[in-house]
Amino acid sequence: MDHDLDRREFTVGFLTASFALALHPTAAGAATESPSTAVLDQPWAVWDEAAKPMRGGIFRIAAAQYIGKMNPNHWPVLDWVSMGYFHERLMMNDGSYNSTVLWLAEKLNWESPQEVVMTLREGVTFHDGSPFDAKSVKYQIDWIRNPASKTWDAGWLAQLDAVEVVDDRTLRWKFKMPWAGFNGVMANVPGYVMSAKALQDDVDKYDSQPVGTGPYIVEEGSPDNYLKLKRNPNWWFAKASSHPDMPYFDGILVTIVPDPAVRLANLRAGKIDVLLLDKSQYAVAKTDPGLNVHRYPGNHVMALRFNNTKSVFQDIRLRKAVSHAIDRQALIAGTQFGLARLASCMYPEDHWCHNPILKPVTYDPDLSKKLLAEAGYGGGLTVKGYFNNTTMGQTIAEAVKGMLAQVGIDWQVDLMAPAAYATRMQKMDYDLAQGGWIWIYDPDLMPTGLYHPQGGFNFGRSKNDAAIALIEAGRKETDLERRRAIYWQLEEVLYNSYEDAWLWWEETATAYRKQVEGWNQEGFLKYQDAWFWSHPLWFKDGKA
Amino acid sequence: MGKYIGIRLAHALVILAIVVVLVFIIARIIPGDAIMAAMAGSVDLHDPSVVERVRHQYGLDQSIPVQFAVWLGEFLRGDWGTSIGTGQKVLDMFVQRLPVTLELFVGATLWSIAVGIPAGILGALKRNSAADIAVTTGAIIGVSLPPFWEAIVLIYLFAVLLPIFPPSGYVPFFEHPLLNLRAVVLPTFVLGTHAGGLLARYVRSSLLEVLGQDYVRTARAKGFSEAAVIARHALKPGMIPVVTVIGLSWGGLLAGAFFIEVVFAIPGLGRMSVDAIFQKDYPVMQAMLIVVSLNVLLVNLLVDILYGYIDPRVRVRG
Repeated sequence: MDHDLDRREFTVGFLTASFALALHPTAAGAATESPSTAVLDQPWAVWDEAAKPMRGGIFRIAAAQYIGKMNPNHWPVLDWVSMGYFHERLMMNDGSYNSTVLWLAEKLNWESPQEVVMTLREGVTFHDGSPFDAKSVKYQIDWIRNPASKTWDAGWLAQLDAVEVVDDRTLRWKFKMPWAGFNGVMANVPGYVMSAKALQDDVDKYDSQPVGTGPYIVEEGSPDNYLKLKRNPNWWFAKASSHPDMPYFDGILVTIVPDPAVRLANLRAGKIDVLLLDKSQYAVAKTDPGLNVHRYPGNHVMALRFNNTKSVFQDIRLRKAVSHAIDRQALIAGTQFGLARLASCMYPEDHWCHNPILKPVTYDPDLSKKLLAEAGYGGGLTVKGYFNNTTMGQTIAEAVKGMLAQVGIDWQVDLMAPAAYATRMQKMDYDLAQGGWIWIYDPDLMPTGLYHPQGGFNFGRSKNDAAIALIEAGRKETDLERRRAIYWQLEEVLYNSYEDAWLWWEETATAYRKQVEGWNQEGFLKYQDAWFWSHPLWFKDGKA
Repeated sequence: MGKYIGIRLAHALVILAIVVVLVFIIARIIPGDAIMAAMAGSVDLHDPSVVERVRHQYGLDQSIPVQFAVWLGEFLRGDWGTSIGTGQKVLDMFVQRLPVTLELFVGATLWSIAVGIPAGILGALKRNSAADIAVTTGAIIGVSLPPFWEAIVLIYLFAVLLPIFPPSGYVPFFEHPLLNLRAVVLPTFVLGTHAGGLLARYVRSSLLEVLGQDYVRTARAKGFSEAAVIARHALKPGMIPVVTVIGLSWGGLLAGAFFIEVVFAIPGLGRMSVDAIFQKDYPVMQAMLIVVSLNVLLVNLLVDILYGYIDPRVRVRG
């Protein structure tokens, strides 16, 4: 998987991270009855009373790609951040990447492992004036599941038997089997709430003229050029949170600028107000007096992927030799401009299933040489593989190749576009290649994808029986603490078998023009998704 | 002249037919799987039937000859397919983006003519002077400058340091003419730099050759002013290589548009092509390559016809 952070990766990762939730009945954190119903009772519902948010101005963003289709269930959607401005979800993720935050769903009551009663928020209306109610949600869910709708995410609802309207605000969800992944799905694509009236009126039109409940309304889109959004004056959250001026911007203009250097030029020229920085731009942006730069962790892991079943790397000594030959600290400094954290295993340190006992593999080239000699490759080892052909990918590949050469491993690595290396991954035509995962939410998805025989990114390259057993156990366990313990064990098994060479967990930096106010680093780190959408930004004096 | 054009047109059609077949085959045999790349993470890769369903949707599960026949039939009927990467109709994408790229082409050509021809004439008339050296040096720089570097430098100079032009973006002319012109100044200049330098060099050397001809000396001996000699006797024959350069540069302009449109965030055919190539988006790639080939063939045809007009000896030989 590609690990240069951009919008495309966001898309791929977001979707990937969500997908397996639907496949594995108990994949999400155990869902229990929500103890609190009102917005103001939520832990993230804290605002700085000293701040004086101002209404006004058009917030300008640069995106690498146009959003594509604006019906979240129709492929392709290429910009999920913009999607969130006009569509809202029933649930959201918390600061440890767990789908526990109630959003348009006000209350969940698990009557049994196969039945959930959901109460919806009151006073929510769609942009077209139609009411958000149980009927509209049922219509949407049934529409997604209807094969004629050609939705790409219908499979996510495979465990759903039926959704029934109890009353205007109440739905009963019935599952075919226990489905702990329900919360995660409701925090993801099928959970984006759409106007049933708009879907009924003209479903094709919805792809370019969506009707959600979000803080902004789609005004105009020009593919590959821009997307214009205007303020939703009737946003339910403004009332529910007692902040009637929310959202504060009059509108949002998303301009499509593919080149990262030109995106930065736009920011510095004052043509846009915020930019997700390319890592190479972090140092420059930090010294710009006109910008506020915020750095925060990302839930992605960068790794090298071994072909554990059909290559020399069946031998654990050779996997260890590779892993100890890599100076991760130097890679982070030299290729990531310092914007990454040393990884010990797959779950990032802020993920709720991260095993804190494990430490990053040490850099020990002498040990690598010794292991190579023990395995019969003292005279040198030649292996092949692939890596992404982006500038960043090329830099990482060259650095790793150099480190491996130091211990006597000749890594013949091909730089390829994802379209090309996807085939090689599928055919297992590599010994050592780019690996890792992006957007790690539910703890089941990544290990299933990479290490389970059914995994979408395994293709038979990993067959670790102990790991497979733990993955399957984790899917069935609905108790959060017991489930966490299983994934700690799983990480330990993978770590001890050197199943992959984990390198780093990502970090990201965003630069805002100083005119933009309202960012709260502490709140964002603590609650992430929930904080971002409940704490909209504003312009100083209400002017861009 | 009619026969001459007919022969040239027949040549162009044969070449186009060959290109169409080659484009289709090459797009299929290069490594990579468009469906897997486009839908990585979005489909249930645990379940190969989902991928197969999408593959079937795009007709990629049929044999290559069948795919070709189906695609060609639909293409000729105006159904260029649906982009795997964006989900839009390919023909709609072309219709939206063609005017944008054409505007860049025209602007770049105007820049190259406005700068290249006067500079070349100046160099030829003031041979070996400081002006000539300046023209020659400028032309070499123009030809040698990497456009991506030139683009970034100009953006920083004229959009960040001196905020005269926007760093990127595009506004349609009929939506806001002034903003449109401001938006296209830098990209068209960068796109036209190479052709401008080339043109200056060709005009200079061509004029120098013509100015040494007997009929020019005769014209001077008859007492015509220097301006009249240049305008009436030297420029027209000196334009034959210039027409060639302009014609050839149109093919090059499209290649230039591939990255100029990316750098300046202009929603034209070039950027669409880059995205399609990276995503192995067959429908867009195929249509694009055919349009590119058609563009080159048409321009070459036009150049051939212009040759025949400028120099009648050419059409006699043709």
